[in-house]
Formats: sequence, structure tokens, C-alpha cells
Amino acid sequence: MSVEADRNPESSPQQAARDERVREISPVRKALIRPELGAICGTILVFVFFLAVARDSGMFSADGALNWTVVSAQFAVLAVGACLLMIAGEFDLSVGSMIGFSGIVIAITSVTWGWPVWAGILTAFALALALGWLNGYLVIRTGLPSFIVTLAFLYILRGLTIFASIATTRKTIIGGVREAAEGDWLAPLFGGKILNGLFVTLADWGWIGKLRNGNPVVDGIPMLVVWALVLIVAGHLLLTRTRFGNWIFASGGDAQAARYVGVPVNRVKIAMFMLTAFCATVFATCQVIEFGSAAADRGLLKEFEAIISVVIGGALLTGGYGSVIGAALGALIFGVVQQGLFFAGVESSLFRVFLGVILLMAVILNTYIRRMITGER
Amino acid sequence: MKTLSRMLLGAVALAGTLGMAAMPANADGERFVLVSHAPDSDSWWNTIKNAINIAGEQMGVTVEYRNPPTGDLADMARIVEQATASNPDGIIVTIADFDVLSGPVNGAVDKGIPVITINSGTKEQSEKLHALLHVGQPEYDAGFGAGKRAKEAGVTKFLCVNHYITNPASVERCQGYADALGVELGNQMIDSGQDPAEIKNKVSAYLRANPETNGILTLGPTSAHPTIAAVQEGGLVGSMHFGTFDLSGEIAEAIKGDVIAFAIDQQPYLQGYLPVVFLTNYARYGVIPASHVNSGPGFVTKSNIAQVEKLAGEIR
Amino acid sequence: MTTPLIELRDIEKHFGSVIALAGVSLSVLPGECHCLLGDNGAGKSTFIKTMSGVHMPTHGEILVEGRKTVFDSPRDAMEAGIATVYQDLAMIPLMSVTRNFWMGREPQKRVGPFKFIDFDKANSVTMEEMAKMGIHLREPAQAVGTLSGGERQTVAISRAVYFGAKVLILDEPTSALGVRQTSNVLATIAKVREKGIGVVFITHNVRHAMAVGDRFTVLNRGKTLGTALRGEITAEELQDMMAGGRELADLAEVLGGTV
Repeated sequence: MSVEADRNPESSPQQAARDERVREISPVRKALIRPELGAICGTILVFVFFLAVARDSGMFSADGALNWTVVSAQFAVLAVGACLLMIAGEFDLSVGSMIGFSGIVIAITSVTWGWPVWAGILTAFALALALGWLNGYLVIRTGLPSFIVTLAFLYILRGLTIFASIATTRKTIIGGVREAAEGDWLAPLFGGKILNGLFVTLADWGWIGKLRNGNPVVDGIPMLVVWALVLIVAGHLLLTRTRFGNWIFASGGDAQAARYVGVPVNRVKIAMFMLTAFCATVFATCQVIEFGSAAADRGLLKEFEAIISVVIGGALLTGGYGSVIGAALGALIFGVVQQGLFFAGVESSLFRVFLGVILLMAVILNTYIRRMITGER
Repeated sequence: MKTLSRMLLGAVALAGTLGMAAMPANADGERFVLVSHAPDSDSWWNTIKNAINIAGEQMGVTVEYRNPPTGDLADMARIVEQATASNPDGIIVTIADFDVLSGPVNGAVDKGIPVITINSGTKEQSEKLHALLHVGQPEYDAGFGAGKRAKEAGVTKFLCVNHYITNPASVERCQGYADALGVELGNQMIDSGQDPAEIKNKVSAYLRANPETNGILTLGPTSAHPTIAAVQEGGLVGSMHFGTFDLSGEIAEAIKGDVIAFAIDQQPYLQGYLPVVFLTNYARYGVIPASHVNSGPGFVTKSNIAQVEKLAGEIR
Repeated sequence: MTTPLIELRDIEKHFGSVIALAGVSLSVLPGECHCLLGDNGAGKSTFIKTMSGVHMPTHGEILVEGRKTVFDSPRDAMEAGIATVYQDLAMIPLMSVTRNFWMGREPQKRVGPFKFIDFDKANSVTMEEMAKMGIHLREPAQAVGTLSGGERQTVAISRAVYFGAKVLILDEPTSALGVRQTSNVLATIAKVREKGIGVVFITHNVRHAMAVGDRFTVLNRGKTLGTALRGEITAEELQDMMAGGRELADLAEVLGGTV
């Protein structure tokens, strides 16, 4: 939560008279004890492990590294939204269904109905934000746990998505988006790549490999990765440095206490539901533009992957405590482990075992760290 | 703080142990990767897993099997990219969604990795991906063949139990069947989900609501097993013409018991076995067949079931 | 005579057929500590909530500095300078002292097109205000959860004072505290009073009330039994009034005068 993030801005010049009952803590320990500590340790551990067992497997070559970077960025985009929402004290289980829904909306509008792709993308975002608002509104209005309300939307959206795609095209996979997106002004913002020149130069220098056709093995950084970085930085600043961020902590920490001092808890929570839907749509749009097709089953179980990343990153499931940087590291761990096990030649069914072990270790470590910070018993 | 360091130590130790287990078993022979689209829950792929193991042993090569755990095809595309990054001697991939896979598969081809496509997808798609060849069963034709047999048996109204509705190939099977009967597909295809109890209930409910139905097509063991139970409990054995895709122990039993008229066998064993053999020979001697391979459809009926049955679920 | 900061006259509050308050009057003068005593279920909570704008009274009037006022929401009451520190403190243990102190009123500074919290100001003010109340924090970033109950109480009080409370309503601030921490809180109340702020101190502990109170009002079964000045009444008399004198006297007879 706050404690870490504020450490620098909050360390005050005034260290006047000390309370003799407060135990001194060493600066090292102070720098160490932060909500992300678990995730930082995990990240180091995971990289040490894979450097040891899979160094020569191509995992750390340019295209190998890009592969796990992209997968991690996918998790991170979702994790930022899920993290802020979880800190605000709520869950959204409809993230995965929202991904499928947004993708199909873009495909139906642009391919089946022939709209320009930018209009399709904007429509998807508008619908997603409206649905996010509805999620939040229902949670606030009914007072039901968000777990139940968004679980309902998990089914409603998935069903609607399959229905809509079958009803309009008689298929559950709608292709042809890539062709439709050619020359569009908005699509490259999601499906494009940047720094192409840099990689061409690197390949010319022989720093990275070339394909048979002379192109570098990596021809740019996908926009998805850029989105992930932008969302992480923006989310981190929003949470730790702004008034609204303080309200997010307060809404999840104790909604009633926050209301007493005038924090607009309902507005904060609804905004976070909308942010989560926004992140899901960013994910979906990048995917649809990159792969050129949308499918009704995209995003299955992604809500849990997002929540797992957030929890590995040190957030408290009950809200009021967490860190965007931690969640981003959680996403990195998740992505590296998922892709790295393959590079290491591990039987793929063991992935879940590994993931479970990491999740468990992270939660135990995080609980221990959190108790040190917050004085919880 | 002590607890903290102890925990870290434990983590390192655990990571070390897993690392030992992670070392590739056969580092000398060629290494191939098979990427399928099937979710973990799809048991049908065991046959192909067995096939690549047998082929791997016979040829002295390593074959790794990879799949997206939830069946999300976008995840599958990432796995293909990752396989490419690990520089294998060949990639065997299913064409579950041409659009999604065209980028990653072309990436592998551009990097100079030989690719063979199998199972779902068409020969045309395989050629567009610049794969060496395709080993599979044309889905629409297989469904059409099933429909022809059903028509001979007098089927007029049918139910197609689709447990994998998001795969376009599955819809084509139902479509081919409907076209062979000369009827509209319409609502005669249901999205059954993957849960056995759910499938059984949906099938029972459909048959009760549409009593004039006299034909059933299931698209694999996942939907066939619960449907067998639904047909038996509904007392429809003998009056219902029941065909299915693929084979399993239960399906074989049902064929012997006259519950199921025929099973369409796409002989998945060949889809796993042949690409490994082809790729090995291609890697070692540069030779490969010049045409696509149709591994199916073969029809398994009561007349040839005895021979098939012994190996059902493992090889067939 | 000075105008009371807040005066409540003949307040009644009904919840359906339940009469929670049946005519309660109370006034708070600047710089006084007015103790509101009452047993559990006497109507203390309902009364505080009426005073802080959570409930609308069914009958009766509220005067703020002599003017008749109606509170539509807790915000109205807060804006009128009525601050309430609830028993559960309205503190969020997972958050830092600074973040709690400024919650809802964070100071901002502009950086380019964005507004960020001005942590330099927020931290130094927090440290200063806490120091004034005699609490020296290790650092303002420490979580409220690491503070003791008395310290948390002090954070809540100094927060209310800093943001311009004229009347401070303290809901059972000492009920869950040990002896040492209780005396810290009572000392804080004394400091607040010196600033000219009116304090409403709700408690059922007569000794705590006697320690800092200037006037005493006893609430029993939704009614006030009058207000007494300091020195006019003894602890025993207050205790009797709270428990509904007669019953306690009867009980004393049965138990042989040990109550």
C-alpha cells in the first residue's frame, strides 16, 4: 500500500523528539520492507532459475525475450486494472468475458458491417466502459459482493458474445480484421510496432539474428508492450501520488471510514470498474488487430490470471493495500514462468504445479511483509 | 527477518529440484515441437501424444507437446512464437484459426524452421502458411460422409452435439452432415459445453423437446459419452441413428451394443506419428512426400470394431 | 452569557414505533468539555448521529452559534464545524498516518498538467500537529495499524482540530483503552479545550468524565435528566442517575450495599 510508495515523499525533515517506545529500524530493513518485496524476490528467483536451466534454449535470444515480454505485457495490462480495483476493495471476474466481447464487437462492426476500424474500436471502448459502469453501479446499488455480480457478467457477456457472433456471421471466429485495418489511423496504436529502425540497425550490426528474408528476428516492440508500460506508470502515479489514489486506498481499506471524511467511495469504485473494463478492451483490441481475427472464446480464465498476478504482486485480496509495480512484477513472473518452462523443456502439464507453488510462496511472503508494515496481527 | 531468509532458501532449493527435472532428456537427436489447440481437458489428444512418443523413440528424436491450457487460440499463437524462438528442428501445428496463426507460423517458416500442419484446417490454408504439407481429415467432407450414411438409414431430423463450438471446424462437420441430408442446419446444432453432466442434460432436454429427431451426430468422445448415456436412459437405442466422430473405449462398446451406428475415425495416430517421421527424414536426408496426407475419414462399424477395439484410446 | 457553539433543544427521534430519543436538550460552549453520560441503549449513539447530521430529528431544533440549522447530511454538519470521532475511529489501519490525516482533503500541488498530493506539506503538517498533541511519530509514512489505540485516537482528534472543528464529538474514546493510554487521551481533550473548541465527550465511565468534564448531562431511556455543572454533583450521584437511580438502589439492598 501507501507505505512504500510514500517512503521517499513522506520521509520528513522533522525527526525531532522520538518516542522511546518505538523501536529503531535500520535503513536497510526500511528500504527492504515494501509491498513489492515479495514480487521483487520472486522476479529475481525466476530469472536466476531460468538463466540456470534454459540459458541456451533461445529464451534469452531477441525473439525468445520478446516472446515472454509480450506474454507478460498481456498479463500486465489486465493486472493494472485488476490491481487498482482490488485495492479499491472489489473484484471483476468478467474481465475474460469482456475481452471476448470487445474483440467480437470490433470484428462485427468492422468486418461484418463494414465500419471503419477506428469506429469499431471506439464503439468497443464505449460499450466496455458502459458495462464497467454497470458492473460498478450494480455492486454499489445492490450492496452484493462484486464477486457475485461480476460472476453473473462473466456468463452474460460470454453468452452474448457467442450469440452475437453466431447470429451475425454463423461463426464464432471472425477473421479479416487485419485487412480491414489497413490504412486505419487508430489501429496501429494497438496492433503496430515501434522502434523498427532500431532493430534493423541492431540486426545489421549482427547483435540480433536475421530471418532468411533479411528482416531482423524481432522487427519492433509491439504496441501492447507500450500500452503495458504506460498503464503501469500511469497506474502507479495515480495510486501513490494523487488525491484520487488516496481515495482508492481509502475505499478499499474501510469504505465507511472513507465516507465519514467525505471520500466519494461509490464514484471511486465505479471508476475502477470502468478502468478494469478499459484495460480488458485494450488487451482485446491489441489482440484483434495483431492477429486479425476475433473469437468468442478469447480471454477464457484471464480474470484469474490477472488476479493471480496482482496477488503475487503483494496486494491484499480484501482491498486497501497493494502496489501497481508489484502487480506488474507479478505479471512478469507469470509470463516468464509460463513461457520459460517450455524453453526449459518441462512437461507442459507441470506449469500449473509451478504456478501454484509460486502463488503460495508469494502469498505467504507477502502476508509476512504486510504484517511488518502495517502492524496487523 | 529470519523467517524471510528461510523462506527464500526454501524457494531456491525447490527451484533447484525442479530445475533438475527440467533438463531435456534427449539432447543429441533432433528436437520437434507439436503445438495443438486443444484445452487440457480434451482427452482425445492422448492418442497423438502417444503417437509422438512412439515416433520419437523409433526415430531417436525428442518431440515436445504444447497446448494452450484453456484452448484460447491467441495463447496458442504465443506458444508457436515461443517454439520458434527455441529454434527446434521442426514444428508441427494445428490450424485452428488461420488468421491468428498465419503471423506466428510464417515467422517460423521465415526463420527457416520446417513446419507440418495437422488435424484441423485445410490443405489450402496449409499451403498459404508455406508449410511442407498437411496431415488431416477434411472436416466438411467427413461430416458429409457421415450425413450420407445417415440419409441411407432414413434420418430426417437430427441433433449435432457440438462441445467445441468456438472451433470453426466443428461447425463445418455439422454443416456437412446437414448438407448431405439436404436439410438446414438451423437450431439442430447445440452448444453443449464440455461438462459431461451438462451435455447429458442438454441432449435429453433437446430430445424431449424435439421428439421427431431420429439422428444424432456427436463431434468426439467429450460429447459422445454423455450422449450415449442420454440415449440409453431415454430408451432410444435402436430407434435413434447415432453417429460420432472419433473413437474411444466407450464408443467401441456402444458400437458393439448397437447404440452407435458408426464412428468416423480420422486416425489421429497418423497425425502425430507421420509428421515426426517426415520431419526427421527431412532433417536428416532432405526427403519428404510431395503431397498432403489424408489421415481420415475411416468409418468404424460393428463389422470392423473387433480389430479397432483393442487399441482404442491409446493408438486409435 | 456566551452563545453556545451548538445547542440542541428537545430533540426527539423515532424509528417507526421505537422512540429512541424522547426530548433531549444539550448545549456546548466554546472551550468547554461537556460530558454526555449514559448506559448502553440510553440513546447516546442516536443522539450523536443526530448532532453530526447522520439522522434527521423527528422533532426539536438544532442551533449553530444561535442560528437555527437543519443538517441534511454529515457533510453539512462537518461544514458547520461539527466533527465526530467515532468509536471505531474512522481510521484505516493499512494506510499511513499522513494518508489518514489528510484523507478526503489531500493538499495538492500542480506538476505540469497533473495534480499530485503535496507530500512535503502533508508530512510536515502531520508531524507538527501530532507533536502538538504529544505524539512523536517515527515517520509520517508509518501505518496507522502500528500505532496504539490511544495514539490512533489522537490522530483522529488532531485531524478534526486541524481541519477547523468548532465542536468535537468524541464517541467513547476511552472505552477500549488501558489506563496509561486513557490518560493520554484525557490530556489530549484538555489540550483541545484550551484552543476554545467545544468538546462533547460521550462515555459511560464516570471517573473519566469527572476528570475532564465542565458540565455533565445524563441520558437515560432517551431522555435527559438535566445538566449539572462541575462541582455541583458527585461521581456517585452521576452513577446513580445513569443506571436509573431507583433500580440501582433496590439492587444495592438485595446485594447488601455493594454496588
